[in-house]
Amino acid sequence: MSLPNDDNMSPHAQLSSHFFGDLLDSVIADVASECHRIARLGLDRNLDEEEEELRLSAQARAMVADSSNSGETTSKYVVDIFGQTHPPVATEIFDCMNCGRSIVAGRFAPHLEKCMGKGRKARLKVTRSSTAAQNRYSRGSPSSTYSYSNSTSMNRLSNGAPGVAGEEYSNGSFEEL
Amino acid sequence: MSTRNPSYTNPKSCKHLADYKLRHRLNGFNSLQEHLKTTPAGKSSVSQSQTKIPRCGFCDGYRERLYLCLICSSVSCSSHTLLHSQSENGHDIAVDVERSELYCVLCCDQVYDPDFDRTVMLKHIMDLPPNRSGVADEEGAVRRSSKRRRLVSGLEFDSKKSKQMVSMRDRRAKSCYPWGLRGLNNLGSTCFMNSVLQALLHAPPFRNYFLSDQHNHEVCRKRSSDRLCLPCDIDVIFSAVFSGDRLPYSPAQFLYSWWQHSTNLASYEQQDAHEFFISVLDGIHEKEGKARSPSIDNGDCQCIAHRVFSGLLRSDVTCMCCGFTSTTYDPCIDISVNLDTPNCSPTGLANKSVKPNENTGISTLVGCLDLFTKPEKLGSDQKFFCENCQERQDSVKQMSIKRLPSVLCLHIKRFEHSPARKMSRKIDRYLQFPFGLDMNPYLSSSVVRNRFGNRIFAFEGDDLDTSAEYEIFAVVTHSGMLDSGHYVTYLRLTNQWYKCDDAWITEVDEGVVRASQCYMLFYVQKTLYYKANEDLSCQPISSRRDPFVPIAGCC
Ligand SMILES: [Zn+2]
Ligand SMILES: [Zn+2]
Ligand SMILES: [Zn+2]
Ligand SMILES: [Zn+2]
Ligand SMILES: [Zn+2]
Ligand SMILES: [Zn+2]
Ligand SMILES: [Zn+2]
Repeated sequence: MSLPNDDNMSPHAQLSSHFFGDLLDSVIADVASECHRIARLGLDRNLDEEEEELRLSAQARAMVADSSNSGETTSKYVVDIFGQTHPPVATEIFDCMNCGRSIVAGRFAPHLEKCMGKGRKARLKVTRSSTAAQNRYSRGSPSSTYSYSNSTSMNRLSNGAPGVAGEEYSNGSFEEL
Repeated sequence: MSTRNPSYTNPKSCKHLADYKLRHRLNGFNSLQEHLKTTPAGKSSVSQSQTKIPRCGFCDGYRERLYLCLICSSVSCSSHTLLHSQSENGHDIAVDVERSELYCVLCCDQVYDPDFDRTVMLKHIMDLPPNRSGVADEEGAVRRSSKRRRLVSGLEFDSKKSKQMVSMRDRRAKSCYPWGLRGLNNLGSTCFMNSVLQALLHAPPFRNYFLSDQHNHEVCRKRSSDRLCLPCDIDVIFSAVFSGDRLPYSPAQFLYSWWQHSTNLASYEQQDAHEFFISVLDGIHEKEGKARSPSIDNGDCQCIAHRVFSGLLRSDVTCMCCGFTSTTYDPCIDISVNLDTPNCSPTGLANKSVKPNENTGISTLVGCLDLFTKPEKLGSDQKFFCENCQERQDSVKQMSIKRLPSVLCLHIKRFEHSPARKMSRKIDRYLQFPFGLDMNPYLSSSVVRNRFGNRIFAFEGDDLDTSAEYEIFAVVTHSGMLDSGHYVTYLRLTNQWYKCDDAWITEVDEGVVRASQCYMLFYVQKTLYYKANEDLSCQPISSRRDPFVPIAGCC
């Protein structure tokens, strides 16, 4: 690779620009060689399939955006696939396994929480810290199941960037129904 | 359908390379071997002399790409290789000095040969610190993969058996919809539970296990005095959901016993679907794993939770000074990935830098997985103690998947946590995910091969017996805010998508699913997916032939 203005440059600058040019050439050759190998050995990804999936997703998003503008998707269900309709709060009644009282299905979880003494006050903020979240997974037992999080994120966390600590979703779907 | 295997078939060599090998066998390769040099990062080159820079024999140039003749060891630059082969008859095959790649002078092309790559890799392994190259340390891999084979066939057996069981259980059903579709009542903010249950109920190998009565609640209750058995409660749900009854089912008993099981969990209102998923599998393992194989660790546990969901992750930390690699394996029940940031997509490895999403700027699952397996330089605060150098060194860490599970659960970390402000925030960004997912690029064999320049070489654990191609079957989505929101599951049964929104089951277009805000993605191995579809569609479901009669006209 020859850079322009070779003649106007000091010998030192010439040398370093040559050096840089050589280095660049070498890196380009490296990448070309690597790609050639990948392609010849059939190790490249199936980009066609990936692109097709991307295209379908983009299309779907455009379609959904369109229909939500016309106010279609936000509408409530009329019937389910079986032709049934359901009340916002499930009305089935059964006996609580803990105290034996009759409870409406849609109110069972809040009842059970009180009934089993897991009152709202028992909700400890501490359990949301990262160590608690981890203890929850590992429970100190080697045979216990756990979920894997790439420790990359841990590193990021220690660097003060967004990470995994104590993240959880909560849901209050009830209000939404 | 293209099924690309992580290990390749040997490429066809050109006539000239074939001729060369016929005449000279491996002599050229072998004598070259001692001159091969590799960097700790895995790049190989040829260095004939410590002191002299190689130069072209014709023009004395050293700055162009140089090639070493495999027959006479003379060096020519790219412009003069042809001249050399013309002056010396038959000197057609040369080696790229800087990259140790074969080059055919007559074809003007880089060519590939398994014996040559083997030569390079063997030298590479010799140069690396003993036994810990991260390449070939695997006796265990062989043992494991044969175990795996047994396991897979076990699941197939389940499927056959379950087909019979399923049809027996379904006698009452007159549904014209695939089987096991039943709404679950919201018991008061319990959509976190319902959403995950729907995915579990339709995870093919998991479903087969319960439908073939391998954990029958009646049998179990008779046998054991312990009244708390989570698998039993799951079995009860399976019976209910596959009974053909269409009224929404209330998984109250299940909630009750799960709650008892998970004594240290916070209030249900704070419950996260992913944590719930983990705790359910944990509960199954506790009951089943201990009964079956009390001493074995998670990686080989034969409980149904681990048989279906457990994979093995590999983590390599490589010393940047000497190339020593320390490898550890960790079982995992799912993989949590960070949302990749669009616009600064990972570059580097040639085959990974060509990402279609680079210009569209949306996050993709493939991008997240690339990020997951990307080599990462460890910071100076966490220097790695290299056993070979006997001191702390800079290092590179890289994750890969040693063994894939039958059902792959991917969890998207949609959180941003600021420790400074003690605040969590949900990232509401859209993440594109494919219906068909190829996990080959993330397998240890692919990742390690790539690290060593993709040489044709039997890298450890080229697991040929398990497929890395997956099909999606369930998507758990979350809408709304961090502390108030709603979980909904989309299920894919016999290639139709159904929305499971607590009590409501509706049919949806696949576009709705593609556009949804995914939180957990459930993929199943392609072969198991197709088998499951067969199982579902060949059921004596109804007198009608078409299982997909539109809603209005149905029954
Ligand atoms: Zn009660
Ligand atoms: Zn020359
Ligand atoms: Zn020669
Ligand atoms: Zn040729
Ligand atoms: Zn049981
Ligand atoms: Zn287990
Ligand atoms: Zn070292």
